[in-house]
Amino acid sequence: MLEDVLLIAPKHREVGEEIVAEILKAKKDKFIVAISGESGSGKSELTHVVAKALRKHGIFAKPIHIDNFYNTLPLERMEIRTSGGIKNTVGMKEYRWDLVHQTVDDFKNNRKSSMPCVDLVTEQVDELITDFNGVDMLIIDGLYAIHSEGVDMKVLIELTYHETKKAQSDRGKEPNNPTRWEILEQEHQEVLSIKHEADWFVSKDFTLVAAR
Amino acid sequence: MQNDIITVKDTHVQAAELVMEDVLKKFKGGKFIITIAGEVSSGKSTLSYLLGRMFKMKGINSKIIDLVDYYIVPPLERRKWRADNGIKSIGFDEYNWPLIEEVMEKFRKDEQATLPLVDLLTDHVDTLITDFKDIQVLIMTGLYASFCKKADYRVFMELTYRETYEAQAYTAREGLDSFRKKILEKEHKVVQEQKNNADIYIDFNTFMNSYHL
Repeated sequence: MLEDVLLIAPKHREVGEEIVAEILKAKKDKFIVAISGESGSGKSELTHVVAKALRKHGIFAKPIHIDNFYNTLPLERMEIRTSGGIKNTVGMKEYRWDLVHQTVDDFKNNRKSSMPCVDLVTEQVDELITDFNGVDMLIIDGLYAIHSEGVDMKVLIELTYHETKKAQSDRGKEPNNPTRWEILEQEHQEVLSIKHEADWFVSKDFTLVAAR
Repeated sequence: MQNDIITVKDTHVQAAELVMEDVLKKFKGGKFIITIAGEVSSGKSTLSYLLGRMFKMKGINSKIIDLVDYYIVPPLERRKWRADNGIKSIGFDEYNWPLIEEVMEKFRKDEQATLPLVDLLTDHVDTLITDFKDIQVLIMTGLYASFCKKADYRVFMELTYRETYEAQAYTAREGLDSFRKKILEKEHKVVQEQKNNADIYIDFNTFMNSYHL
């Protein structure tokens, strides 16, 4: 994802350090971490600080943002979602999981890989080519990232859009209208449906808790 | 560049509005190239991003290209390369200018282009394939971006060397040993050579809130 804006706060760094400690305990060759959470929950921020902290341990981690893998173009998505009905269109089914899994497979096998890459300023989808040779870890970041195949450590941020409502309006990344809230509710339900897959939770006060 | 973090302050927004107003006097449609040159950590990336957003609000598509992606020696090898080649190697010639000019040419011709793209988290150089067909404005940002030939509008961002030094220490991207200090001095010298050809000059020292008679 190009030209995304991150708001990194101390809470991200703190829980990020806890996650890094767990990664170091569990790590193996070509390790994959997934960080899920609702829109505005801070998953991209967390992904960034974790990848950065891992470098201090000599580990090269590449973040992969699932929002690059939508099956609709950014400029057409709203129209497709509203005309098809939010409940029918929004959720895990609007992603190209085949491409996500291809990327995971390329990473596991040290291959050169090609993937979509959204530029948030042009709203076009570019193509990114990266060589996974020399990349030790993959951090998949996205609403339903923990649902991806091949993930070794699944982290879910428990903050919901209800709690981040104000921050969301302030941030101005997305339009603030009734349809947007309907989308957020649908995404919320979808995230709830995969919550049981998580190994770790980042609680609402940003501490790391192991799943039972 | 991937995974860069920018910090937007009010002064950046004010500067972007000022630049935008001036650019719109000169931009009459077609293909337009803006360069944003200036000192290390002077806010070039932030200004580029804000301009991109402002263009978008006006229905104009702009693509941002950071010249950090166009170093000849890749990031993970650069420190050693610079140490081996000495301070004289630092500056303008570290960049792949023919490639930069080629990208500008492809933009002008509405062509698809294959670009280097550094990931700041892995320090690996990826490749980006992008189509310039629907892009009206190219924003090229970097220390020496004003040296791009055939740019339509040039922004220069000022920052004294002393502040650069502090800003650099603040962002803590690199440890500040004495060689690093020499690199900064050399870069500063080359950066300042571009000053005279700028269309607009941004100096946060004399900007808005700190301006006094």
